[in-house]
Amino acid sequence: MEVQGYGMTQTKSTPPAGHFKRNPPIAGEADALERAKNGDPDAFSKLYALHKRRVYTLCLRMLGNVSEAEDMTQEAFLHLYRKLGSFRGESAFSTWLHRLTVNLVLMHLRKKGLQLVSLEETINPSEEDAPKRDFGSRDPRLSGSVERVALERAVSTLPPGYRLVFVLHDVEGYEHNEIAGMLECSTGNSKSQLHKARLKLREILRQNEQTAALQEAK
Amino acid sequence: MANEAKRWSCEEFEKALPELFENAKGGKLSADPQFADILRDCPQAAELVRDLEYIAETARLLLEPEGDSPSSDLWQKIERELGSEPDTPVQ
Repeated sequence: MEVQGYGMTQTKSTPPAGHFKRNPPIAGEADALERAKNGDPDAFSKLYALHKRRVYTLCLRMLGNVSEAEDMTQEAFLHLYRKLGSFRGESAFSTWLHRLTVNLVLMHLRKKGLQLVSLEETINPSEEDAPKRDFGSRDPRLSGSVERVALERAVSTLPPGYRLVFVLHDVEGYEHNEIAGMLECSTGNSKSQLHKARLKLREILRQNEQTAALQEAK
Repeated sequence: MANEAKRWSCEEFEKALPELFENAKGGKLSADPQFADILRDCPQAAELVRDLEYIAETARLLLEPEGDSPSSDLWQKIERELGSEPDTPVQ
């Protein structure tokens, strides 16, 4: 499998500044990186320990499946081992590792059945999964105390196409033009999918709040 | 000539939201004075914007994982695979 064609070499583009802000260096990472590049297995083990949770969580959010997420985490670290020498420090290491992981997961998804049709056509969920259009109606707004656990759970129930774009943009911090490149869709489609994902999440979260309020009232 | 603010209907505004959010500074549409009138005149749109901004803000907190972790034997599997790799990472 070859992921360099998906933007892993660091010669052309630099990531947006936000990626540096959101991925500050981790204590001990730089030293472990240098030693791992020189073939120190303990240093590579340290890199794994530092980044396994974020890589795994990224895979889990993109795939929605524990077993596949573990497989892709393994794949990501095997690729990391092979490609570590091409990391030049032009972006935060975790930004680079996440991009490598995203590319692998997307390749995996294409192999699973999306390879013949562009994601643009396939990521659009069915009508019943789409958020309801509610022009002209008033709904109770979110309480403003949605916890990350509730949001995490709601994200996991999103249709795959919405979930991908939401995780890449709102969680990982990629720009729409980057997402469009990754998903081989238009930036307009990425924006539209993100908006629908947020609408769907609002719908799910409001339903959950209403259910909780009803249960409390009993 | 001073820029005249576009006059939106509530429905037009909601339909334009994907693009407007993308162009809003820091993704904060509610902080942009050019939308103050429409957000005041369309309470439903104002609530929608508030909720969507809130969801986007909360999503940023998800970057740092809290609960999920790969199984404890995953590293052993990776080590086994690495055992069959060429000696050192590519320099």
